[in-house]
Amino acid sequence: MNGDGETNAKPVLVIPCSGIGKVHGLISREATYLVTDQLAPGKTDTLCLGLLVKGDDEAVAAIKSQPCITIDGCPKACAEKNVRLAGGFDARAVQVTDAFKKHRGAEPGTATDLTEDGWAIAGDVAREVADEALQIRGEKEDL
Amino acid sequence: MEAEIRKVGIISCSGESIAEGTISRLATRRVLETLRPGRTVTICLPLFVAGDEGERNFAKTHPTVAVDGCPKQCARWGTEQHSGPVSGALVVSEILGTSAAGCSRSSRDASDVDKEAVRTVAEHIATEVDRILAEEPVRPESG
Repeated sequence: MNGDGETNAKPVLVIPCSGIGKVHGLISREATYLVTDQLAPGKTDTLCLGLLVKGDDEAVAAIKSQPCITIDGCPKACAEKNVRLAGGFDARAVQVTDAFKKHRGAEPGTATDLTEDGWAIAGDVAREVADEALQIRGEKEDL
Repeated sequence: MEAEIRKVGIISCSGESIAEGTISRLATRRVLETLRPGRTVTICLPLFVAGDEGERNFAKTHPTVAVDGCPKQCARWGTEQHSGPVSGALVVSEILGTSAAGCSRSSRDASDVDKEAVRTVAEHIATEVDRILAEEPVRPESG
């Protein structure tokens, strides 16, 4: 909750890097849609990272007034950095590479298509993010 | 003297909020992998804007095509802000018009409408790449 007590009523923004060169970027993107469309619809939403880095007034206002969770595919952490550069509120950062540690030897696919391994990793990331979002909103539930 | 093979950089907005962002990303991947492999590369927009010198220098010294999902043209803006004018600019919503209305943001279980939208935009990108390469002066290979 922020200082004015209103933040918890707004959706938590889930912002992936969507990196286009590696499978990790696609996993960040698909994990986001799993959260916003299936695991926590209405309680989470997403925002175009490109619009944010452009400095779009509405996008910047949104990340300053709503809690954000970023999902990054690689340690360069472009989503996290860009949200913080734009003044993001209460950003929490999730790394796709951490989810790979539970999937040794997995073959997740490519930057274009995920395999079943890739979808399983996206699912793990999505559950972690949805759980975080519900905690931020004070609505922790078993997913 | 061998002619240097020039490559065109394709910068996709990959906007997460709209289906056209997913189409921009998948169409870019299709051009790289299938339509113009070896003649095209892609650049991560968030990394580019966050200040990666390698990505920015490539865009300063090579022709680029911005592929944006919507008329806000974040990919074009980011490229021109940091590396100079783009050689080509495409907007998915202008190419597809109302036919993008039935498309999905997630690439899972892509429908025939989704696949056709990606094919159409990819063809436009490939045509733009061909135009740019035809207009580029052939430069002698360095070294």
